[in-house]
Amino acid sequence: QATGTDQVVGLGLVAVSLIIFTYYTAWVILLPFIDSQHVIHKYFLPRAYAVAIPLAAGLLLLLFVGLFITYVMLKSERVTKKAQ
Amino acid sequence: LSLGGLRLSLVRFSFLLLRGALFSFLAVTMTKLAQWLWGLAILGSTWAALTTGALGLELPLSCQEVLWPLPAYLLVSAGCYAMATVGYRVATFHDCEDAARELQSQIQEARADLARRGLRF
Repeated sequence: QATGTDQVVGLGLVAVSLIIFTYYTAWVILLPFIDSQHVIHKYFLPRAYAVAIPLAAGLLLLLFVGLFITYVMLKSERVTKKAQ
Repeated sequence: LSLGGLRLSLVRFSFLLLRGALFSFLAVTMTKLAQWLWGLAILGSTWAALTTGALGLELPLSCQEVLWPLPAYLLVSAGCYAMATVGYRVATFHDCEDAARELQSQIQEARADLARRGLRF
C-alpha cells in the first residue's frame, strides 16, 4: 500500500492533468463548433493562445532542464577540483 | 460500367496491392526509428497540405479552425497522458517498508566499510 504523501502527490498529478486535458480539449476541439454568441466563449482566451501558451511552456521547460544540467555539471566539476 | 471506369478501378486496385506489398517489405527491413519518422513525415505533410489549402479542398470554416492547432493539441494531450500515468502509478505503488529500511541499513554498512578501506565519497 503506497504511503500517504505518495498517494496525495500521485492523485494530484492525475487531477491536474485531467483538468488541463478537458480545458484544452474544449478550447481546441469543441469551441469552433459552438455559436460565437454563446456565453461560454467568455471563459476562453483568443484561439492563438492555444498554441502560444504550450509553446512558451515547452521552451521554459527546456530552459529549466538546461539550467539544471549546467548546475549539476558545475557542481561535479567543483567537487573533482576540490578532490585534486 | 464503362470500359474506362473498369480500367481505372483495375489500375487503382493494382496500385493499392503494390503499395501494400512495398509497405510490408519495408516494415520488415525498416528500423523502428525509421518507421516513426516515416509516420511523422506522412502525418505532418498531410496536415501541412490541408492547413495551407494546397489540395484545393473547401473545408468548412469550423473544421479549418480545429485543424491548424492540431499538432499542439496532440502534444499537449500526450503530455497530459504521460503525467496522468506517472501520477497514477505513484499513487498505486506498493511500498515495502521493511525492505526499504533493510536496504538503507545495508547502504550505511557498505559506506562505512568502503570509507574504512580508503574510498573517499
